Amino acid sequence: MSTAMNFGTKSFQPRPPDKGSFPLDHFGECKSFKEKFMKCLRDKNFENALCRNESKEYLMCRMQRQLMAPEPLEKLGFRDLMDEQPEAKDK
Amino acid sequence: MGGFWCQGWRSVALYGRCWSRPGWWGRTVASAGQTFRPGWDGLGGAQRGLRRLGTWKRPSGRPGSSNPFQRAQEDEWRRRNKTVLTYVAAAAVGMLGASYAAVPLYRLYCQTTGLGGSAVAGHSSDQIENMVPVKDRIIKVTFNADVHASLQWNFRPQQTEIYVVPGETALAFYKAKNPTDKPVIGISTYNVVPFEAGQYFNKIQCFCFEEQRLNPQEEVDMPVFFYIDPEFAEDPRMVNVDLITLSYTFFEAKEGHKLPVPGYN
Repeated sequence: MSTAMNFGTKSFQPRPPDKGSFPLDHFGECKSFKEKFMKCLRDKNFENALCRNESKEYLMCRMQRQLMAPEPLEKLGFRDLMDEQPEAKDK
Repeated sequence: MGGFWCQGWRSVALYGRCWSRPGWWGRTVASAGQTFRPGWDGLGGAQRGLRRLGTWKRPSGRPGSSNPFQRAQEDEWRRRNKTVLTYVAAAAVGMLGASYAAVPLYRLYCQTTGLGGSAVAGHSSDQIENMVPVKDRIIKVTFNADVHASLQWNFRPQQTEIYVVPGETALAFYKAKNPTDKPVIGISTYNVVPFEAGQYFNKIQCFCFEEQRLNPQEEVDMPVFFYIDPEFAEDPRMVNVDLITLSYTFFEAKEGHKLPVPGYN
């Protein structure tokens, strides 16, 4: 659709990702986390909001294995999960 | 007029001599000089008449100014005019060059600042940190995977769809396998439909636009971490949009091979 070279039509401009590209996980180091996330998605009928813990854990695995630039999780949109964790620890 | 006559009479007389004597061709100046006589006799009628009227002037390129100060001032003016003219010409050429240089310079600017032609409000990490999910607007994101004909990878999404809300970061996976016996390097690009929703679709990190190398018989998971801008919920044009399709296409990366995607690079 974006390759239709019609004069005057807006064409889609792909934008590069904000934080660049994920290095490939050649050795499958985070594969177990991915499997947990996919299982959660299938169980919860593919609702992303219910599987955010698993996605957070997958990204943390990547950061620990140098497959992703380490960043505070708030900056990745997991602030609500970070607020819950200290509460759970207190309890 | 008398002065004129005194200075130039010799050349005039010579001219007059040429015209008045039809058989004069080929004579040298010296021999001609011997034959003419001072006085009016050697002049042609036309020359005489012209000088009588006083209109004949010695041909000269300069408007006569024998005054040295005047001449100096005129030289000064002439020099200044030339300087000004040079500056104006340089400015005109500079403008022309700037208009030609603007095209690649603007493209370079867009690439470095990441605006890429569509200036959208900055998606800094502060925005991600502070954005509030719009929980009442559920959007279904479906995934599509394609490969170019010359690339022999098996590339497919690991989930057919995912339900997200604007302002919430989401993770999705694709899987790629290289069934050949040679390492293959691929590079991918993406597309989002509908077109207007594409500007709200922000990828934090993915696997596109960089070369990805797969060894023989290797299979990898490729994640995409994205979110939909919360302003999506406030755009009146997006009221009826409930389905967004993210489509990735992989191409084979060769030396000097450019992605056949219009508008990128």
